[in-house]
Amino acid sequence: MQRLIAFIEHNMHILLFIVLQGMCGVLLFSLNPYQQASFTHSAAFMTDKSNELSSTVTGYFNLQEQNNLLQAQVANQFKNDARSSLYFMNDTITLRDTSRRKLYDVVPAEVVFNTISKASNVFIINKGAKNGIQKNMGVISSQGLAGIVIQSNANYSSVMSLLHINMNVIPTINNFEYYTGLKWDNGHPQTLKITGLNKLEEIKVGDKVYTGKSSLLFPEGILIGEISQLETSQSSQYFTTHVKTATNFRNLDYVYVIINKDIDQLLPLLPDND
Amino acid sequence: MIRLIFYWIAILFLQLVVFNHLGFTSHLAPQVFIILLITLPLHISKSYQMLLGFLVGLVADLFIGTPGIHASACMWLIMLRFFLLGAQDLKEQIANHLPYNIHSVGLSTFAATATSLVLFYHLYVFWLESIGAINWIFILLTTLLSSLFTLIVIGVVQLLSEKSSGEF
Repeated sequence: MQRLIAFIEHNMHILLFIVLQGMCGVLLFSLNPYQQASFTHSAAFMTDKSNELSSTVTGYFNLQEQNNLLQAQVANQFKNDARSSLYFMNDTITLRDTSRRKLYDVVPAEVVFNTISKASNVFIINKGAKNGIQKNMGVISSQGLAGIVIQSNANYSSVMSLLHINMNVIPTINNFEYYTGLKWDNGHPQTLKITGLNKLEEIKVGDKVYTGKSSLLFPEGILIGEISQLETSQSSQYFTTHVKTATNFRNLDYVYVIINKDIDQLLPLLPDND
Repeated sequence: MIRLIFYWIAILFLQLVVFNHLGFTSHLAPQVFIILLITLPLHISKSYQMLLGFLVGLVADLFIGTPGIHASACMWLIMLRFFLLGAQDLKEQIANHLPYNIHSVGLSTFAATATSLVLFYHLYVFWLESIGAINWIFILLTTLLSSLFTLIVIGVVQLLSEKSSGEF
């Protein structure tokens, strides 16, 4: 018995190592992306205050530029759309169609926490349930598509960025919607890839990639990026298409959350709620 | 003692506020705070070293937003450090309660140990982080770049501490 105790005392660090590694494993693998995001969320909440403080200082430096980008974007996107007109409200821009019924609310928000160097990148914005933001809402930046809300509490929301290995967007190129996912492969932080495009399709480098009708989270025609390279191989009849994201995630400061007002009515009509 | 606590907080603060947000390129994610674990004094019991590694890693995890990755990596680092240090003759340093650094064990020994530990740590963290979408070229490039950066910072910190009597 004494020898057993002596053995345990002598190898206490190894026991500790195994037990604590087990805990790490549980943390790491039992959390699915959603719970991982909530871990990130609660963890980041601790740093929110300091991040916000630095944001209040650095936020002013490129405010002008961001404003110009937003104005250009709003003008481009909705200028030619006769059905909608813009109403500027308190903190919220609301898009309406001519029958005066709200289609989309657009809530501006500031990014307080962001990463680009991980495989699962999530950023946190300073607007939450108080502003009507809920899970599964689209987020765009002034340059283009940015991500999807995965969780929100009263004042903050976490957003799965395009640079997340679980992100999958249906792209529209030259007015054709291609039902093959636009994904990030944990490579360059401004390059997404589409793998299943047939070589017979009429696409070329420089073509713009937009969101299409098949998503209820985003309005149709939000810019995702631009085709930067068409990779071919002899043995395959498909392109590996590289898409340069319109949004520059390295200096993502201001984003806009898009709230589809009719989502509650539209979702039950889909065959399977995905 | 107060200086030591101040030093730990300063290094962690630098890591969490500066080095985590460098953003020049996505290949640069240096984990400079592991200098704290590499230079731990040698007379502390192995269990305490392990526990310390876990806690430091958990703090890093909380701020970086990765559940368990850094805590796990820190403990592997401590484990690997036991092995590397077991092969070195450190009786004098242990008896004098010295930390493991350039001044106590000499440049070449320390450089060899620190380089292997830093390379291992970065490789492990980047690999664990990208499970599900492993891109080896990206991982290796990031590991090399971040390790180089970390080693330079560790070297600078060590040389600076020489002036202040080499307490750390």
